[in-house]
Parts: sequence; structure tokens; C-alpha cells
Amino acid sequence: MNYRILIVVGALLFLLTATAAAQDDATIIRWGVWGSEEELASHQAVADTFNAQHDDIVVIIEHTPWNDYHIRLATQIAAGHQASVPDVFFLAQDFGRYAESGVLEALDAYITSTSYDLSDYWPNLVENATVNGSIYGLQRDLDMRLLYYNKAMFDAAGIGYPDETWTWDEWAEAAEALTIVAPNGRTEQYGLGMEYGKWGQLVLQTGGGIVDDPINPSACVLDQMPAVQAVVFMSDLLENGYAMRFGTLDQAGGDTRVFLERRVAMIVQNGSRAATFAEAGMDFDVAPLPIPEGGERVNNSGGARFVMNSASENKDAAWAFLSWLQGSQGQTIYIETSEMFPALRSVANSSAYLESPDQLFDREALVIEAAHVRSMSLGSFPEWDELSDLIVTPNLQSIFIGDTTPEDGVVVICASVDRFLEQNGYPRSE
Amino acid sequence: MLGVLVFTVFPVIFSLIISFHKWDLLTAPEFVGLKNYISLFTDDLIFRRVLENTLVFLIVLVPSQTAISLLLALALNQNLRGMSIYRTIYYLPVVTTIVAAALIFQIMLDFDYGAISGVIWQIGDWLQLPLQPPDWLNTTLWAKPAVIMLTLWKNVGFTTVLFLSGLQGIPAALYEAASIDGANAIQRFRYVTLPMLSSTTFFIIIILVIGAFQLFGEAFILTGGGPAYATMTVTQYIYENAFKFFRMGKAAAISWVLFVAIFAFTLLQVRLQRRWVYYEMEQ
Repeated sequence: MNYRILIVVGALLFLLTATAAAQDDATIIRWGVWGSEEELASHQAVADTFNAQHDDIVVIIEHTPWNDYHIRLATQIAAGHQASVPDVFFLAQDFGRYAESGVLEALDAYITSTSYDLSDYWPNLVENATVNGSIYGLQRDLDMRLLYYNKAMFDAAGIGYPDETWTWDEWAEAAEALTIVAPNGRTEQYGLGMEYGKWGQLVLQTGGGIVDDPINPSACVLDQMPAVQAVVFMSDLLENGYAMRFGTLDQAGGDTRVFLERRVAMIVQNGSRAATFAEAGMDFDVAPLPIPEGGERVNNSGGARFVMNSASENKDAAWAFLSWLQGSQGQTIYIETSEMFPALRSVANSSAYLESPDQLFDREALVIEAAHVRSMSLGSFPEWDELSDLIVTPNLQSIFIGDTTPEDGVVVICASVDRFLEQNGYPRSE
Repeated sequence: MLGVLVFTVFPVIFSLIISFHKWDLLTAPEFVGLKNYISLFTDDLIFRRVLENTLVFLIVLVPSQTAISLLLALALNQNLRGMSIYRTIYYLPVVTTIVAAALIFQIMLDFDYGAISGVIWQIGDWLQLPLQPPDWLNTTLWAKPAVIMLTLWKNVGFTTVLFLSGLQGIPAALYEAASIDGANAIQRFRYVTLPMLSSTTFFIIIILVIGAFQLFGEAFILTGGGPAYATMTVTQYIYENAFKFFRMGKAAAISWVLFVAIFAFTLLQVRLQRRWVYYEMEQ
């Protein structure tokens, strides 16, 4: 027997018991998050501050990498181990499904009893977290899309920088002026590099949708005005070669990469990319997204929510942490330690945010967009992802790669969508 | 034994049971009888597409990989200096992770700046012709060939090694005897090499057919199944139904259909082998 190993193990055991004893009278709240090293560091800063301020609660982070996070959660619950899910956790996918199946704790009673202020949230955030009349989550941030543009390329093309007055017409003209094609036909610089995943936002900007009702749809409306404008607009940009084709964009490593490599002049992305561009020494800024003539400013932003496990044994302590986390203190730590746009209006309008010395771009653009946020409004019924991924996307690809015209393509899409809705029992009677 | 029971037998039986249910992992499974199977063949247009795609991959990949690896094996079976280095080179892609390989292919196939397109743009410039490279991943026409190229590049080394070991098992005496009888090189290949290799070939075709039915990573990473369903395979459809849309019953039903298809093909081949596979022991 090796005595040194015994001593080391003994010492470790002693340390563990000692730490546990020190926190014996405090309630332990397990907090589930994902995130890169940097994101984890800002979660840790939040937990540390909370723990320093509270003697009776200790928050412990349970970190799972993004790729495994949601599948692990689903597996834990399916296996009947909901108690092993953290007390408070971050949730980005299947929020409605979890809320309906009783995995999440309804927060209404806690909100009322502690007078937690819901009116400070940006419009629609509370509605979007409401399922069957109860609130099941508090959204942490707005993952809003902005128009990033390369200032040097705009200067070279001799056009003015985009601002909140831009419509799709100006956007398309700029994309054309910014596109540079070599004599042999190879495109050296595209005006726009917008990933397919952001296309849905254009539909919302027209005031239309893919289906008539995002919650209980009865029919596809993509083949009608105004929604069809978004299909035509995008397919024109692609066909004329002013926008990089979606496949090429994927192949080249995504919009961030091609913007860094100066292969495109504009991309549509959220605020988190600014640090990468600033680090690379790029001369860039952001503007609110252009909207169609007669359309509306809509930001179809995602953004994850913090939720409470309905199987938690310490719900009051969990709420104490959750409400602090989603109050000005928790939110302010996040804006100080990461490039995050806060869900609370007071924090976004605070000098800590707008006058921060290390801001990388025009944060006013975010405030302009935030007033128009409509999360997930293309579809938020349980089968939406399936409809979108298996039917809408592949058929849109046929249009965007030029296999079919927008006019014919949308008819095919709508026939398939209507069929899918019927097979899945939509519209459902309440 | 217990391990086999827990990790193989149980999941197999469980998936068969689940295939008769509707189950989303969250709520209790609901028994639906044969509905999952029936709807696959009656009203699931996407299943038909992915089945067609998989069969196209199978029809192209099995003969082409067999032929290419046989040619490579013949070339690598020479007694030349440094032959082991060449053999290693052809085997390298096999040990490369598919994700890395697919990402490199993506970069090489880039329409404007990729290495493969670059050569074609360059040739066009030299010849003063408006030559355009194929837009591999943006066209339904070229996406399948792109996936096939990647799959061949990745896997040909493995079957080459199998053929090579088969070739080295052929006794030199047979070739000598054939030469003495006046057989030329082509005749020696036709009447000595091919029959002697038939059992290796049989094995290779079996594993290639199974591999083609299960094709997933190559297409999934290179194209994500697109554009417009062009490269979506049965296995990707199973994956998406199970882990993206939580239709466990449907996914299990497709898995069983796939299993039956593979089983049937393999049985068919075992039947057919009697006509063309030659085993030395039978003499």
C-alpha cells in the first residue's frame, strides 16, 4: 500500500468535510448554465457576488457545455431524475414543452409575494415566457440582430453609412455597390453575407409570417403579400450575386469569419461578435436593421431564460437567487463582464451600459431595436422546429439556389406546410 | 454477457417496442399500433426522398469504391522501394476524423476561393475562357457528388488494405502456372486474380452496402442534408426525428425499416455469392 496516496486522499476527504461543515447551515442552490470559458467566468462573477452578499444561501454552478446541455436535460428528465436537475437553470430550447409538462415551476406566486417588478422588462419578454397564463421563466438578455458594416468598404464604394432610416431599397442598392466581381466572374467581395438562420426576420419585418398564427396556426401565408416580399427580396440579392449564397457562407465558416476575412461588407449578427472584430483591428460599426417600405421594425430575437426546477427542494431560496439574478445587480454584473444586452430596460438605459468606456460599437442601435422585440414570433407551437427544419427550410433552399422561382416555390412550400398542419391537428380548438 | 444484455439486447428490444408508440421523452409513451410504420410509407414524402438519396449513394458508392480500391490495391502490391510509405498515405484518411475531413472539404470546395474551384478559375484565366467551377454545395446537381467524393476519399484506404491482404494471399505458383500456359497479364488478372479475390470482394461489398445504408456523418457535416433535401440520408432523418423533434416512436420505426432493408440486402448477397464467390477450401 502506498502511504502517500492514503495521506493525499485523507487530506482531501478532510478538506471536503471541512468545507461542507462551514456551509452546513446555508441552503445550497444548484445553478445550471452552459457557456464558453468567458461566459462561465461572467456566470461565476454573478455567483460570487451573490454568495458574498448572502449568508444563508450558497449558489454552486453546474456547468455543461452548450452542445450537450439540452440533450442532457431531456435525458435526466426522461429517466425520472428531475431532482438531479439544478434548482435554477438556464434554458434556451423547448421552453414551452418543459413548461407544459410541469418540469418548470410557475413563478407567479413568488412574483406577487415579493413584488418583483415585471414592468421593467422590454416589451413581449414577459408574454413570451407565459404558458397557459403562468410565467415560467425570466429572460436574461436580448439576442438582437444588428447590421454590422465594414466602414472601409463603404468609404471605398463612396456610400454613406447605414442608419435607422434605411429601407430594404437602400440596403439592396448598397449591397450592389459593395459587390466586386473579377473579370473572370469570381466574386471578390459580396455586399451582404447574411446566414440563412436570419432570413426569418425579414418575413417579420414585412408584417407577415410563414403561418397565419404563430401559436395556433391554421394556414401558410408565405405565398401571400406581405410575407412573400421577403422571399423575393432575398432571392433577388442571391440571384444577382450581391449576397453570398447560404451554402458558400456555411462553407466559408459563417458570417463572422467572412466578415473578418473581408469577403463581405455587411453581416447580420448579434452584439457578441463585436469583441472579435475589435480584436482583429477592424474598422466597423453597427446600425439597426433596415426595414421594408411600409414594413415594421421587428427584432425576432432569441435569448435564453432562467427557470426554476419544479422538483427543487429549496424553492424559496431558489427564488431569492433567481430574483436577484434577474434584478439590477445580477444584470449589471453581466453587462460589465460580457457583451450582453440586458432584458431590463433600466439596466440598458443606465450609464453603466450606455456610457461604458469599453463599448465596441454604437449601443444606441441596440436600444432602438430593443423597443421592437418580438421573440420567436414566426412560430411557437410545439411542432414549429420540425416544420421549419424539415419542410420550410429545404423548400426555401430550392428557391434560394435558383432551382425554382420565388412565385412557384412559395406555392410548393405552402402546400407542404398546410399538409403538415393538418396532419398534426392544427388549428387546435382551445 | 451482462454487458451485452444491458447495452445491446435491451435497447434493441426497447426500440422495437417504442416503434409502436408515440413518445416525446417527456410524457408517457402512447400506444399507436402500426401507425408509425404505415405513415412512413403512405404520407411521409420526406422519408421517400431520404430513401431515394440513400439508394443513389449506395448504387454509386458500392461499385466505385470497390473498383477504386481494387485498382489501388493492385498498384500498391508491387515490389517497389518505399511501398510501405505509399500504403500508409492511402490509409491516412481512414484514421482522420470525419468532422475534420468534412470541414477541409468544405474549404476546398468553396466556390470563390476554394482550392478545387481555384484550379478551375485559374485554368479559365489561362485559356481566356469563361470557365466556372461547379457550385458544389449550392446546387442539387453537385451536392451529391461532393458527398460521394468525401466518402470515397475517407474510406477507400480501408477497403484497399483488405484487397491488398487478399492479393498477398494468392500463391505465386498460380501466376507461374498461368504464365507457362501462355496467359497474358489481362488473362492472368481475369482468371487468377479475380476468382482468388472473390471471397474478399464479397466481404467488401457486404460492408460497403451496410456502410452506404448508414451513411450519415459525411453528408451531415458537409451539407447538413441540403440543399433542398439533396443529400439527406435515412440515418440523418432518424437522428433529426429522435433528437431534434423528439419523435422517438417514428425514429425507432425508421430504424427498424432500415434494419430490415440491410438484413434483406445481406441475405440476398449471401444467396448470390454461391454463383460467383470461390472458396479455396471447397476443392
